[in-house]
Amino acid sequence: MKFDDKVPIYYQIKQYIYQEILINHFQPGTKIPPVRQLAIDLTVNVNTIQRALSELIDEEILISKRGKGNFVTTDLQILNQLKENIVEEKLEIMYTQLKNLQISSDEMVQYLSDYIKKREENDHE
Amino acid sequence: MSNLLEIKNLSYSRNLHSILENFNLEIPQGQIVGLLGANGAGKTTVMRLIAGSFLYRRGTISVQNSQTVAERKSKVSFTEQASHLEMNAPLSKIGDFYNEIYEDFNLTNFKQLLAELGLKIDQKLNQLSKGNYRKFVIAVTLARNVDLYLLDEPFDGIDSMSRKKIIASIISWKPDSATILVSDHHVADIANLLDSVVVIKNKKVIAKEAANTIREELGQDIETYYESYYGEENDD
Repeated sequence: MKFDDKVPIYYQIKQYIYQEILINHFQPGTKIPPVRQLAIDLTVNVNTIQRALSELIDEEILISKRGKGNFVTTDLQILNQLKENIVEEKLEIMYTQLKNLQISSDEMVQYLSDYIKKREENDHE
Repeated sequence: MSNLLEIKNLSYSRNLHSILENFNLEIPQGQIVGLLGANGAGKTTVMRLIAGSFLYRRGTISVQNSQTVAERKSKVSFTEQASHLEMNAPLSKIGDFYNEIYEDFNLTNFKQLLAELGLKIDQKLNQLSKGNYRKFVIAVTLARNVDLYLLDEPFDGIDSMSRKKIIASIISWKPDSATILVSDHHVADIANLLDSVVVIKNKKVIAKEAANTIREELGQDIETYYESYYGEENDD
């Protein structure tokens, strides 16, 4: 995994784990790899992984079972909330950038739906 | 968290030439800390002083509350201790030798480290390439079970594949409670690995910061942070 060295590594690891959960690589109720294995896979320090995991545990996205490891929550409400939050974060970036270009809300909707159509046509070719 | 390493008011000179003056440094247990500075800034000297290879007259160095040289030596594993070896010997014989002289040396771990790093036990030391020699040094250093590991420029002059293997060994073999001080002048190599960095310049520690703080509060990458203390002058 390639990190952006200007952004705290633990934060990027959290984003990585969110993504693995959203795309079902880490499925609800299953155990995620052990701390040291994640450290080796992502080439970062064990402390950094621990920091990321402890925040995910605080967010109740992961459940820590003593002596057994860390498991993805089975609480669908939390998982749906996670998805919403992440989508919203991405939209927020796009919205801010387009607003800075003085694009109105109506235009924005139009541009987005045009873009989606165009993208789908291109991807089909 | 308690400090594993404490250096207080250390001054050191050699041949009437002052190298460190009122040098202070505290490192908490369990961290991986980058010791950064230009060539000649004193990184190796600091490590030799901690490891007890150099003696000093003024100041104190304590490792896990031990100040005497003999006690410190038993708590510190230093890459430089793997130099000055009989060059014609196979790695197995060198492992046996270390097993004799260090009570905390783990021969099984040593062999496993060699295997992970892609070295063979019957290879002779003087037939190793530069990259493989560096790997061997890491294997010897990490095969001791100590509180503090001092890795002096472990990636100097080696290719990126060897570097990746060495980094993986450091991550997988570092005991949770152990502390690592690693020096490097190409910070980008190890930036992902570090909990914090210490910058040495003009005989002192001029900056010390947690990696997260550098990124989160200063909005910088580690290399930029380091270079802000050195500028363009240190282009080696």
